[in-house]
Amino acid sequence: MAIASLLRRPERTRPTRTLRAGRVAAVLGLALVGALTAAVSLGAVDIPAAEVWSVVARRLTGRPPATGTRDLIVWQLRAPRALLAAVVGAGLGLVGTAVQALVRNPLADPYLLGISSGASLGAVAATVLGVGVGSAVGFTVSAAAFAGALGSFALVWTIARRGGGFSPLRLVLAGIGIGHFLSGFTSYLVLQAGDEQQTRGVLFWLMGSLSGATWSQLALPAAAVVVGLAVLQGRSRALNALLMGDETAASLGVDVARLRRELFVVTSVLTGVLVAVSGAIGFVGLMVPHVCRLLVGGDHRRLLPLSALTGAVLLVVVDTLARTVLDTQEVPIGVVTALIGAPALLYLLDRRMEHHS
Amino acid sequence: MRIAVEDLHVALAGRTVVAGVHLVAKEGEIAGLVGPNGSGKSTLLRTVYRHLKPKAGRVLLAGRDLAELTPVQSARHIAALPQERGGDFELTVREVVAMGRTPYKRAFAGEDPADRELVDGALRHVGLAGHDTRRFSELSGGERQRILLARALAQQPDILVLDEPTNHLDVQHQVELLALLRSQRRTTLIALHDLNAAASVCDRLHVLYEGAVVASGTPREVLTAELMAEVFGVRAVVVEHPLTGDPLIAFDHRATVGVLPGGPVR
Repeated sequence: MAIASLLRRPERTRPTRTLRAGRVAAVLGLALVGALTAAVSLGAVDIPAAEVWSVVARRLTGRPPATGTRDLIVWQLRAPRALLAAVVGAGLGLVGTAVQALVRNPLADPYLLGISSGASLGAVAATVLGVGVGSAVGFTVSAAAFAGALGSFALVWTIARRGGGFSPLRLVLAGIGIGHFLSGFTSYLVLQAGDEQQTRGVLFWLMGSLSGATWSQLALPAAAVVVGLAVLQGRSRALNALLMGDETAASLGVDVARLRRELFVVTSVLTGVLVAVSGAIGFVGLMVPHVCRLLVGGDHRRLLPLSALTGAVLLVVVDTLARTVLDTQEVPIGVVTALIGAPALLYLLDRRMEHHS
Repeated sequence: MRIAVEDLHVALAGRTVVAGVHLVAKEGEIAGLVGPNGSGKSTLLRTVYRHLKPKAGRVLLAGRDLAELTPVQSARHIAALPQERGGDFELTVREVVAMGRTPYKRAFAGEDPADRELVDGALRHVGLAGHDTRRFSELSGGERQRILLARALAQQPDILVLDEPTNHLDVQHQVELLALLRSQRRTTLIALHDLNAAASVCDRLHVLYEGAVVASGTPREVLTAELMAEVFGVRAVVVEHPLTGDPLIAFDHRATVGVLPGGPVR
């Protein structure tokens, strides 16, 4: 024990966390550009990267578009989808980091608070009960998902607040309870679905999907992610203090009850917006903060922006895999994140166990 | 700076835990809180570092009611070492100490050279300079408490509040931490279980029992055999420490006051 700690002590040559964070951010920025290029370039028809960028350059500079099909594939089909993947991934990474601080548990994820179950119920109800007609269907389903997210948020909030406290444990228990309760309704509705086509659509949505992304879908989640990042970044010192415990945070001048309320509102609204456009994509919000902590440490001033960046890269890559891995059909993105994420989660749990034994 | 507690009442989940406490810690004085488990020591301290709100009464910081200050304002005067352990989030030693600057920083402000100097100074002061990049969760118990003290010092407080800071430490680390504390010459409120440690480190002691102060004074005045029997329910003699001259309490570990000599211990 004593020898082990002596061995750890010699002065370090490792660069400081801040320098390292800058380098990590630069690498991730390049990776995001690369991933986006690959995402637009790969698919049923492969388009060379140079051509992708020439289409984009033409569009951005207002010159006449390239040949019809290329322009259609790059600009109308793949670019909005790749960017939506980046936005949703950034948002999930951000929300994951915030929720883990909110409930002071590094194994928490954005869906722990029951928000996605509400969103799923809303979307499935709209689909199965057949609200919305024609071109309004997509919009109605998203709106219903968002309404469901806010509804479950209100329920969890009310239950967690009873008894005055807003403790991490109460939040988690309320979130899990409400989540399972609402999932029960969702399962029942899926069974009631009118035809097989409808059931397939619902299931696809429950497992997450970015298919059918359009430019017009992009603005709201992008704005929500930017605002969310700004709000959280402004509270990053308070988030750090919260990691040490409520009492420590209070002694450092943090109004803990108010901070929790703010975090809960920000994470719920952001999750609602993300789920409404992409369905329930699991594991990203859990994994990304972990990976980033390993890279740059636990300080939220670095962790928040890097989690957003890492989430963006990850989801662009995963969505490209989901689109291209099978020739005949698209795999729901939630399936891919689960197949990658579950083993990663087990690895992390294992690592934590070793720490505490 | 002087801190005074006036007729303080604090309730937890409807139950009054602190009931009409009066006490004063003068400038530069180490005031110890002692008393059995559940006597209200931690609750009193939590109210001073503003984790809890009083039900009645007030805490006066240099004559000013704490309730009139914002949490940030009082955090610039009062720093605390609570008992909680926090989560494992890969924070480094330096990041934990730098948290002490929280009440001085605006939302998006980074650390300036003055902050870094204060953090370096605090680390040197607790004898852990050069340990900046170690993970906080990997520290030994003694190192952990010294880092938390460094965080409190980086907060540049006038008042230090410590809740059982020597819990779970071996005797060497207990002595180290308490000596470090004595060398501060800062107004300090400290809850301690170890009465002998309290006797040697504190200028004045306040004995809490069922939420009220039942005795106040110098350790020599307060720590008597009668008090041991009445408040703590144990038999003890109080002698003079052969090395330091402080009061030394020798407990009878074989029986509490209520048990007849020779009777069944269990």
